[in-house]
Amino acid sequence: MFSLLYWVWIILGGILIGAGVHFIPVGGAPAAMSQATGVGTGTTMLAAASGLTGLIGAGSAFAASGGNFAYTIVMGGVSAALMISILGFIANVMYVYGAGVPLASAKVKYDPISKWRQDLYVSRGTEGHGTPMSSFVSGIIGAFLAGVGGALVYFALAASYAGIPGFSATFGGYPAPYYVSLAAAFAIGIFFLNCVMASYNIGGTIEGFHDPKFRRLPKSIAASLVVSAVGGLFALLIVVMLPGGI
Amino acid sequence: MVELGALTLVGAAALIAGVAEDLESDVGSQSNPNSQVQLAPQMGYLHRLYNKAISGEPASYPFYAAIGASTALSVLSVTGNSGLIGVFFALVAGAFVTSLIHGVYATTSYMGRLASQSRFGQPIYLDVLRTHTPVLMAHGFVANFSVLLLTWVLIAQHFSPFPFVVLAFIWGIALGGVGSAVGDVHLGTDRYYQDRPYGSGVNAAHSGSVVRKAESGLRNSIDCAWFCSKFGGPLTGLGFGLVVYLHFWKEVVVTSWWSALAGVIIVVIFVIMNTYLERYSRQRYGTYKEEVEE
Amino acid sequence: MAEGERSPRQLLVIGVVGGLVGIYLANYLNSMTGTAWFSFFAALGAVIAVFWGADAVRRVASYGLGTGVPSIGMLSIGAGQVAVLLGLAVALNYGIHWAAPIIALILAAIIGVVNGIMARRVIKMNIAIMERSMTEIAMAASLIILGFSTAIAGGFAFDVIMKYVVAPGFIIAVFIVGGMAMLHPFNACLGPDERQKRTLNLALSTGFIAMLVAGIASGAINGVQAAVPTMIIAIFGWIIYYLRFFADTKQDAAAMLSTGLLPKEEEVA
Repeated sequence: MFSLLYWVWIILGGILIGAGVHFIPVGGAPAAMSQATGVGTGTTMLAAASGLTGLIGAGSAFAASGGNFAYTIVMGGVSAALMISILGFIANVMYVYGAGVPLASAKVKYDPISKWRQDLYVSRGTEGHGTPMSSFVSGIIGAFLAGVGGALVYFALAASYAGIPGFSATFGGYPAPYYVSLAAAFAIGIFFLNCVMASYNIGGTIEGFHDPKFRRLPKSIAASLVVSAVGGLFALLIVVMLPGGI
Repeated sequence: MVELGALTLVGAAALIAGVAEDLESDVGSQSNPNSQVQLAPQMGYLHRLYNKAISGEPASYPFYAAIGASTALSVLSVTGNSGLIGVFFALVAGAFVTSLIHGVYATTSYMGRLASQSRFGQPIYLDVLRTHTPVLMAHGFVANFSVLLLTWVLIAQHFSPFPFVVLAFIWGIALGGVGSAVGDVHLGTDRYYQDRPYGSGVNAAHSGSVVRKAESGLRNSIDCAWFCSKFGGPLTGLGFGLVVYLHFWKEVVVTSWWSALAGVIIVVIFVIMNTYLERYSRQRYGTYKEEVEE
Repeated sequence: MAEGERSPRQLLVIGVVGGLVGIYLANYLNSMTGTAWFSFFAALGAVIAVFWGADAVRRVASYGLGTGVPSIGMLSIGAGQVAVLLGLAVALNYGIHWAAPIIALILAAIIGVVNGIMARRVIKMNIAIMERSMTEIAMAASLIILGFSTAIAGGFAFDVIMKYVVAPGFIIAVFIVGGMAMLHPFNACLGPDERQKRTLNLALSTGFIAMLVAGIASGAINGVQAAVPTMIIAIFGWIIYYLRFFADTKQDAAAMLSTGLLPKEEEVA
């Protein structure tokens, strides 16, 4: 049977993934040359990296707790946040000791959280470097949202597919049941779908919630809503199409 | 106790994977600093660096991991030997086949990008291709094998219910993300612009003017990997090792909701460490300009 | 459009027809003979879909996506994956097994159109051909996934694909290898002097590498019968198109030198 609740979870999960991408501070290619604030990767890929690590956490939590909703979601979010806090910190170690630059943002005069002066610490010809306090915290929030979003999508899919007769089987010597494999594969697909849409919205780099580009968030929510609705609908219709299982 | 021992092996493999990944992306000049190498001929700075553009590290490392994992599963089903030696051989075979495909993609990327910049007069150096490609294939082999090994141990010890290929894919993305965030900075800010003073970001006006004349002879990407192996590589290894190790450590030492609490505590610890780091950098380095009295 | 280039419509027809024919041939020849010797047809169909998809990526990415070329490939192949599996499930439910690839293609087109409309109208990306390109790329992606999955499993019935491709996790390998095969050609040839012929030769080369990976994976499922023909044809196809790409590069590059110092200022035209 088509479960409206699970569809809502997938849509909500997609929206959270898209929103999370807006929080994560990404400097893109310039950040690797210490020319921009943020982590030196692409928006899509950093959100995917942290969110999918959250997905691993969610998968383990779902299996260990036998499908407990709250535990899966929280573990997904915490695992993703943990990954990005380590990544951001080690990247900052690299900026401070490897490139010899203080952490600073060129978009604000005083950091919203630490209230430290920013513009005097920005080297000439650059737009900031490293991941100062606000960007770091923003990244943790963003990764948590992306992790929770991914966990929601995975939970909805795994719970739906586990109900199809024959989907708890495993094939040959491969230990993963069908519903886990399918849910994981689709969760990765829907993850990329939302991450890329959100990164199109950002269009390059973003420093976190204090960046002016952050105000574009509503457009991303609308796009993620529709795209996840269609994708989620397709994924959940498989349950409807297989009443007798396989 | 077995779990913690297996987890330590996983963490060690992750550390090696991180080091090899960063050095491989330095030899190939992949991902973010590659934008400077791409820009250089346009600004009139011809070079003898590699130019590998396989869509950035967080997209290419899952690619290698997935191929390696599929090949390993295939070899295992053919040999039918799932004892320790059989598994080890399958993982090596998987990493080997992947490194061949990796090499092919790298050569096509170097040739393709440089041929599309022919109007700037950038030549394609076949000896750069011949010397660099095996090096990056070798580093890629080590990184990929380590990812496959850590994934295999995680699945064999029931740390994760996901299938082998899917879990290897996700750790590939995480590895690429850490390598791109941490290691690329050393290459981009320090090595490519070694003639600029240490302690400042690269001025946007200097974009494209990468160092092309090395300590002795012309700069090539293997020199860059040598330099980054002093700091960038090991730090990336530390980063990825911590990511993998702490991710599962919090589920091994405590269970259920305490794991979530442990995760939150570790995040808070890192935020505190980051605050100290930021304050240290400001006090130690000082400002770039004085406050202008208006 | 430049001299001697293939038109988008030409490539769409080649892609759809080639992909579908390959997939159908593999499935029905395999089931008629009760073996897996003909799995390679599906992989060839997928290679033709890579050829089409790479050109579609090329067309849309030349407008400047802002986030780089790989993003659109990943988006579409993530969407295509869901469309394929739903298409197969629909065919199983209504007992129209023969229509499964066509249904998958239509569903992928639907997702592609939705993505394109969202990207252009809601996110306001200024690319005129966005909807059409997203649709084409999603359709090509679905044929790639279905083609390589059929090559691995030996047929395109839902339960067969579930058991042999999804459960061991090969679906993710098909996802990323197929996606990479589609987006790498334009990404690798990015630059002002990019030429369609060279990019598409590279596309066929990466497509055959993807076929090689599918062949290796099929060895785990169907053994020698599926793996050996697929791998042999993949290696030959790869050699042919890689050498063509190399020849194109030699023709297009400013210079292809065996070794040498940097050209002097005067030598650069």
